[in-house]
Amino acid sequence: MSGEAFSFNLAETIVKWLDVGIFVLDKNFEVQLWNNFMAHHSCRKSEEIVGKNLFEAFPELPKPWFTKKVNTVFLLNNFSFISWENRPYLFRFAHNRPITGGAEHMYQNCMLLPLKAEHGKPEAVCVMVFDATDTAIAQSLLQEALEAISEISNRDGLTEIYNRRYLENRLSSEFDRTRRYGGTFSMILFDLDFFKKVNDTYGHLAGDQVLIEVAARVKEKLRTSDVLGRYGGEEFILILPETNQEGARVFAERVREAIALEPVIYENITIPVTVSMGVAEYQAGMASYSSMTHQSDLALYASKAAGRNHVTCYEPALEKLAD
Amino acid sequence: MSLASLSNDQRDALQELTNIAMGQAGASLAALLDEFVDLSVPRISVVELADLPPALASLVGKTNLVSAVRQSFQGYLRGEAIIIFGEPGCRALADLMGFEGELEESGENELLLDVANVLSGACLGGMMEQIRAFTETNGPAELSFSMPSVMARQVMAEQLIDPKKVKWSHALLLEVNFTIKNRNFIAHLTMLMPEEGIEKIRHITDEFLAAF
Repeated sequence: MSGEAFSFNLAETIVKWLDVGIFVLDKNFEVQLWNNFMAHHSCRKSEEIVGKNLFEAFPELPKPWFTKKVNTVFLLNNFSFISWENRPYLFRFAHNRPITGGAEHMYQNCMLLPLKAEHGKPEAVCVMVFDATDTAIAQSLLQEALEAISEISNRDGLTEIYNRRYLENRLSSEFDRTRRYGGTFSMILFDLDFFKKVNDTYGHLAGDQVLIEVAARVKEKLRTSDVLGRYGGEEFILILPETNQEGARVFAERVREAIALEPVIYENITIPVTVSMGVAEYQAGMASYSSMTHQSDLALYASKAAGRNHVTCYEPALEKLAD
Repeated sequence: MSLASLSNDQRDALQELTNIAMGQAGASLAALLDEFVDLSVPRISVVELADLPPALASLVGKTNLVSAVRQSFQGYLRGEAIIIFGEPGCRALADLMGFEGELEESGENELLLDVANVLSGACLGGMMEQIRAFTETNGPAELSFSMPSVMARQVMAEQLIDPKKVKWSHALLLEVNFTIKNRNFIAHLTMLMPEEGIEKIRHITDEFLAAF
């Protein structure tokens, strides 16, 4: 290993200048070696640190955890690893991107290696600290991109509220959650009255504007946990967690009024809008959330039959009307 | 006999080598957790790639959800160790390591990685020690290990490896189960080596047989 042909020790010089943090601890956690990477990032020279107890030199280190980690290497005579994904860093070093940025600190992977004579027991532990900042940044960018994609795939392109795909997932999970943990929730199915006439009379662009405006008016009324989505053409769904049928009816009335209060103006054309609504509440014993969509659909149908611009709550008697 | 298969003698020799090595892995795990650890007799097989997912599933049970950690090793031997944990095992592990209450996912991952690292390191380290005792190689027979990583959380064992993404056609599969008495903890260690690894193992077992 020694560089006989050179005027310096080959391995020693490389360890000193390697772009990886290297330090060595004995059984008492006294530092035996501290290379330039460690010195330059910690701003503590080798002469300052070697011979000192690691935790006295760096009181901010997570002592109980790191002690256990190093002691395990001594005990088992086995290498060990620390991943930035579980612990972002061992030493809180600045990252080497002061200009390009993207991270608060250097992310680190560490490898702990037992140092020993060929057949002996470990006498010291070598810790290597790898800068994983680039990987961590790439991973977090990827994560953000994935989240953005999932957000886009859950949104309706026109109204920017949730789409049918999301509504169905959400209804299903809300249904399962309520069945498992108790409590209740309600859903409101509503659609625009005479929407076909709007499209036929004023054109599809006017129709689109009505959909956008209605979505915006409902959105203003939402409480934090309520979910609004476009179920199809001019059909919308509201999911109301922790809300019983009476609470949902009161909320539906408020939404109905807010929509009917003012007409939608599109290129100087005044378009009156109203909605018909059907309310259904979760009931123990329902097989799936589609029972609720079925019930709210029947109630919506009753609202239409009652002259539109109306809210109806589901009741079993509606089943007979549907026949 | 296909290139990938082992003779009975070779299999016996490998069995003997791994018995001792796996015993060391069990002892290391016991020291790490401070608990008595039971281990099964290692099973050795050469599997075709297509048979690997069902082989893993039958190892841990078809309907059970598992988490798994992989770690690659290179040098004298080359391959990947896959350590599979049954889902209750993760929880039991947290108790054993003295974590109380709800464990954050990153903390649980760290536990899995630590235990996986100890098992694969001790087991392969033990094998290398045996091999060094009877082989004459140029220079010391050494292995190095890469950082372990979590390959899956809570999936069916059959889904762990996607045969379409793997380049080799046969692999040497070593399996051993570690269990802890009175605890709901089971870990399965499997070591996979591609074809050239199998060739190397055959060579090693021949040397082992010749030495006795």
